[in-house]
Amino acid sequence: MRLTLQMLISHGRVARRMGLGPESRINMLRNILTGLVRHERIETTLARADEVRFYAEKLVDYAKKGDTDEKAMKMASFWLTEKDLVPKLFKVLAPRFEPHSHSYTRMVRIPNRQNLDRAKMAVLEYKGNPFPSLYPVRKENDLTLINQLLKGYREERAQQFAAKL
Amino acid sequence: MATRSVCQVFQRRFASAAASLRASPAEIRSQRNAIFSREQARQRALYPRIEKIEVSMHGPGLDGTLLIMNKGMSTPLSCARHLTEYHVKNSTLALVDGEPWPLHQPLTQSCSLTLLTFKDNDPTLVNQAYWRSCAALLGQVMETAFKDEYTVELLSTPEVPVISGAFCCDVVLDPQLDSWTPSEESLRSLTRGAQKLIHQDQAWEPLEVVPSVALEVFSHSRCKQEEVEQKASQSPKGTVMLYRCGDHVLLSGGPLVARTGLCSQYEVTALHNLGQGSWGLHRRVQGLSLPLQLQAHHTVWRKLRQRAEKLVDAPVPEAVAAAPEVTNPPDSTQPPTSQ
Repeated sequence: MRLTLQMLISHGRVARRMGLGPESRINMLRNILTGLVRHERIETTLARADEVRFYAEKLVDYAKKGDTDEKAMKMASFWLTEKDLVPKLFKVLAPRFEPHSHSYTRMVRIPNRQNLDRAKMAVLEYKGNPFPSLYPVRKENDLTLINQLLKGYREERAQQFAAKL
Repeated sequence: MATRSVCQVFQRRFASAAASLRASPAEIRSQRNAIFSREQARQRALYPRIEKIEVSMHGPGLDGTLLIMNKGMSTPLSCARHLTEYHVKNSTLALVDGEPWPLHQPLTQSCSLTLLTFKDNDPTLVNQAYWRSCAALLGQVMETAFKDEYTVELLSTPEVPVISGAFCCDVVLDPQLDSWTPSEESLRSLTRGAQKLIHQDQAWEPLEVVPSVALEVFSHSRCKQEEVEQKASQSPKGTVMLYRCGDHVLLSGGPLVARTGLCSQYEVTALHNLGQGSWGLHRRVQGLSLPLQLQAHHTVWRKLRQRAEKLVDAPVPEAVAAAPEVTNPPDSTQPPTSQ
């Protein structure tokens, strides 16, 4: 589990060790990140999702520099193994996150994997995607009985307060 | 002074003599019950052959459901029983072809049906019916709470909106009780009576009758008879709706919810004097209730309860003190829901 980046570095563990080695790890994360940019919501193990998250946010930060920027283009073409996604990154994701400065992704834990092993699983998504919300939407209904009673109560309190002044 | 006390004594004698002449409340109740049962049996016998009707359901997850039901026998509740337990427990009122319909009233023709709950997007209709039912329950409690020697006359129930904070029920108590002011304990005992009824989970059985039957049901109560006549003249079909809950028969201005068990928190909060009216000293009993599906935390409940103790004013100015003639103030506010 990662508390903060500083904490992680100070303990000598910059990243999780996964795959067959550092290069394999990077390739794996590239593939996952490509999938994330394509589908905008993916389901992987918790560790992988947590690792990819950092790169996914970083990639949007680069993409915000614009497609004329040399470094940004280099990063995009490295991290996206399928090159048809490069325009999507610059034309769709970068404008979407223009008003935000950080936290472009959302990670939610889901039940452990049942069929293969009991690995912890998670869902990783870019915010603002067209899919239904991960959390149930809270219904606010002002017309229910108790809300009507409370509304009457509040109105009366406001009247009393106004009369006191 | 002496003459006054003599007068009082005489009046009391006279009142008790009149009371002894009158039938006891238990007899009245059983008689009303008998007439109600007779009329109900007669209406059920109108459909001797089983005929089928098609009921198309509407609502979340129900669109396209078609139920084949029995004409004059199946109620919206029996439609709900074909669906899920959720529908049986949570539906409070039905909407048949866009009109509010009590859950226990048999369907008479092929129709479209929507089951309404407290948590719908627009539960205004249900809230109003719930408020009316709570007031009806309060009337029932008031009628049974006193000893048999005291008569209790229920006046027409004023229709108050939910936002006013409390439902209410107008009663005229026995003249001997005019000086009685209820203590906190007596209100609590009324609450206990209501909660007993809620625990029994009794259905409000609707019955649409012609005025002559309603007049026969309320033959002991002059003010109820006048109310019946007024309601009958206002309704387009010329009929009135009677409801029975347990052994209590009442007259209602609009549909009531399915059963008493829908209430969960229920409290009788206050009893106010409205002054002398045409039938005696008018009193207004007030209460507050919340359904099982929408319960309040006790801090919220306490605040709402404190508010419910204040006298609510019926939407139309009271005819109690001003007009000696009996009028039914709430009726004019009811037409949208009463049919």
